[in-house]
Amino acid sequence: MQEEIINIKNEALSQIIEAKSKNELEDIRVIYLGRQGRLNKLTKEIKNLGKDERKKAGFLINESKNTILRLLVTQRNKLQESAREWFDPTTPGIKPKRGRLHLVTQAIEEIKSVFEKIGFVRVRYPEVEWDFLAFGSLNFTKDHPARDNWETFFIDTQAHPTYGPMLLTPHTSSGQVREMWRVRSTSPSTLSSGPNGSGFIPIRMINIAKCFRRQSDVSHVPMFHQFEGLVIDREISMVHLKGTLDYFARNFFGEDRKTRLRPYNFPFTEPSFEVDINCGLCKGKGCKFCKAGWHELGGAGMVHPTVLKNGGIDPRKYTGFAFGWGVERVMMMKSGLEIPDIRLLYSSDLRFLKQF
Amino acid sequence: MDILIPDKWLREFLKTKATPRQIANCLSLCGPSVERLNKSQYGPVYLIEVTTNRVDSVSVYGIAREVAAILPRFNIKVSLHPIKPINLDLNKKVKYLKAGVDHNLCARFTAVLIKNVSIKTSPDWMKERLMAVGVRPLNNVIDISNYIMHEIGQPVHTFDYDKIAGHRMILRPARNASHSDAGGGEKITTLDGKTFTLPGGDIVIEDGSGRLIDLAGIMGGENSAVDENTKNVLLFVQTYNPMSIRRTSMSLAHRTEAAVLFEKGPDPELVTIGISRGIELFTKLTGGKPEKKILDLYPNPYKAKKVEVDIDFITERLGVLLSKGEISKTLKALGFETTWKGKKLTTSVPSWRANDIDIPEDIVEEVGRIYGYHNLPSELMTGRLPQSLSNSPFNFEIKVKRFLKGAGGFEVYTSSLVSKDSLNPKVALRLKNPLGPETEYLRMSLAPSLIEAASQNSGEKESFHLFEMANIYIPRKGNLPDEEMYLAGIFSNYSYRQAKGVIESLLEELNVKYFFEPEDSQHFIPSQRLVIKSKGNEIGQFGVLENGKIYYEFYVEKLRNVSAEIGSYKPIPKYPAQIEDITLNLPPKTKVGEVMAEISNFKFQISNVELTGIYKDSYTFRIWYQDPTKTLTDKEVEGVRNKLLKNLKEKFGATLRN
Repeated sequence: MQEEIINIKNEALSQIIEAKSKNELEDIRVIYLGRQGRLNKLTKEIKNLGKDERKKAGFLINESKNTILRLLVTQRNKLQESAREWFDPTTPGIKPKRGRLHLVTQAIEEIKSVFEKIGFVRVRYPEVEWDFLAFGSLNFTKDHPARDNWETFFIDTQAHPTYGPMLLTPHTSSGQVREMWRVRSTSPSTLSSGPNGSGFIPIRMINIAKCFRRQSDVSHVPMFHQFEGLVIDREISMVHLKGTLDYFARNFFGEDRKTRLRPYNFPFTEPSFEVDINCGLCKGKGCKFCKAGWHELGGAGMVHPTVLKNGGIDPRKYTGFAFGWGVERVMMMKSGLEIPDIRLLYSSDLRFLKQF
Repeated sequence: MDILIPDKWLREFLKTKATPRQIANCLSLCGPSVERLNKSQYGPVYLIEVTTNRVDSVSVYGIAREVAAILPRFNIKVSLHPIKPINLDLNKKVKYLKAGVDHNLCARFTAVLIKNVSIKTSPDWMKERLMAVGVRPLNNVIDISNYIMHEIGQPVHTFDYDKIAGHRMILRPARNASHSDAGGGEKITTLDGKTFTLPGGDIVIEDGSGRLIDLAGIMGGENSAVDENTKNVLLFVQTYNPMSIRRTSMSLAHRTEAAVLFEKGPDPELVTIGISRGIELFTKLTGGKPEKKILDLYPNPYKAKKVEVDIDFITERLGVLLSKGEISKTLKALGFETTWKGKKLTTSVPSWRANDIDIPEDIVEEVGRIYGYHNLPSELMTGRLPQSLSNSPFNFEIKVKRFLKGAGGFEVYTSSLVSKDSLNPKVALRLKNPLGPETEYLRMSLAPSLIEAASQNSGEKESFHLFEMANIYIPRKGNLPDEEMYLAGIFSNYSYRQAKGVIESLLEELNVKYFFEPEDSQHFIPSQRLVIKSKGNEIGQFGVLENGKIYYEFYVEKLRNVSAEIGSYKPIPKYPAQIEDITLNLPPKTKVGEVMAEISNFKFQISNVELTGIYKDSYTFRIWYQDPTKTLTDKEVEGVRNKLLKNLKEKFGATLRN
């Protein structure tokens, strides 16, 4: 009987190995391991054997059943595996063409959205402007260096009888008086409307625009961008200027950033300030990237009474502040980009453009 | 302007235990900004930026005055040692010099003759200090001038007295170059050996023989310069018209330290200290004998200027309340005199601040900065909000840009200033003072800039799409130009259909109802340009340029006017469409756009048509047959199809491909 068991086992194993499908394997299982299967049939005959024989045969049948079962499962898995379609999930994807917005556009959008949240209105004023709006109305003296041929681009055309030479605006401050004019004509009764000045529309302007200066080196470009904030209302003080600048610092540069004002000088603000922001790396302790914990951000000040007058606003009733900073500068400071030559920013080289 | 101030020299005028670092920090917060604290052989040196309105601070003494006013606010003790002039015998006439002075050009003219100077090297203490401020010591006479200029901020000049013909000086404007009888401007050789032709109006000094011996305020003449044989020196201290100095110095590109100071209008009262220090130092270092009588032509001496301000005015602007005592103390420390009458404060401005203190706001600044702007609280304003701009263009512009970026476009910013070659110079605005011929004109089209931008990437093998949104400038007579915002783009290595698809897609994104009309134009290959129209108006163009690149542009305002923020609503069809592809053979030179227009306009039961493939002269169209009122039967579709095919055969000679 033992021989018979071994023969059956070997027969089963060789059939399993040759099986080509799961169904075939199932058939084999039924033939050998089923209730009426060949091994079970032998089990029923065991009782006819002697005691010793019985024990050995029982053991052998059990062992054969296990061996066959194990091979069946292995073979079934093997068949399943090979039935799967080959797929390589590590192949890289095919990307749709992705363009880029210019760094300057990205910065402008961010600046705009920070100020719009606190009620500033974005405007845009002429890039080609009269001297009066760029300088004269802003209290620049006739002989101010910015007004001469070495710093500002002038257009080769006749000067305006009232507003003077035509030029490329060297700063967004040219929008200050234009904004005052705009707001006043929206509300023509502004200044003559009695002691409360009801009807006066407060100004919270953010003017972001192209500017031009006669300069070109690694840190200057003849065409660049500025953003100008202007706030005019009753009882506007330096405290509000600080509040606005700190708000910008936190929302544009990060939660733990703040600004500081130091004395400076501009013709169209009095007092005037240089604005610093605490260093993002050392948080104001002082490191090799900053000046004793601070970076210079740009200029600001309280609007000069002469400028308010030129904009048709009574400086005895209203006060205001203004600031005008470089878009490129704050963008570079925020991103920590170190572009060795700022003129590269205005190149159309895709190897540069693709990086952002 | 940036100046160097050695700490040791500064402390000659200050008594304080403050460290250089403390001085630097306090100054930066409340006065001129200390950019750096350098180490040198002569000890620490401050690099300080002084704003142009504060020429009174462009010197060791001027900075000492600021430090003395600022440190007490930081609870650091300090006292200032003022410079006291020696007894000076000032006269309107002296025997040793006859001078005729145009006081429009020179507010104060002071000179003294110093006889028998011996020229040698300066003592070490002076050399050290000069080197610490970046000046190379030469000999005692020259060094004294430089020393005084750095010490008190007053430029000083010295002539060789014996070289002044007739000991006579006439200070006058240089003759106008264009009107000069001699033809061309007057010439002068300055002591650095450079010869200049003067534009006219420059401040010059002529001696008794009619020679120019000084380009006043900028640099002395070579012909009157002190040399190793000089015996008698004329020490010369003046205040000049700042505008004239700047104009001459800039137009001759001759930027000397003296010119940079004089163009900022230093205090004429400072001349007294200048001449006094000069006499002291010449006596001590050259052994020279100064004349007792000093020539001083100063017709309008300084009368203290008064500025009034109300305490409420100060409080409202600073946003914090300061006491009268505090305000007075601050102003006195800065050299002002103060008188209170109730709430009203009258201040008397010191001579060295006369140029920059005029109005109550200036007083607020002085009080505020010494109080420390950094000590003010920080709060956002409250109150009414402004009205938003009606019809603001910004959201539309960024929407367009973002779409093009998503479609693979790279945004560029190219220069608004272009060369003569890229436009019609007879029409375009030209700069009076361009940096060069490449940036001489204001552009009237973005096309040349984008073509140039594409050619910058000629090495790029992959296809690319560049775009820009910027103003062009259309001149108007007697007015500012029209600034028209344009969107333009250029495709390189894109197929015509790919590029056109981007534009069509953009227009659909903007909900613009548009159509294309072929129309030839300059710079485009004939038959390869389309005008883009909407609501009967031209809004842009698209086509293949002569260089093979594909270019498009839109006038952004027109595009915005025909666009809709949200597309119009059309009911969702109730009945399904039958969709089928049919392939037609079209005769050569058939415009497929016209065929498609014919198909889609053929019958209301054709709801859509698309081109799905082109193979040689075979065009496969996908056609949607759909009726809004019922489901079309196969038979009805067949009827429409047959009529369509018949029509296309008659109109275009199109045949169904088998």
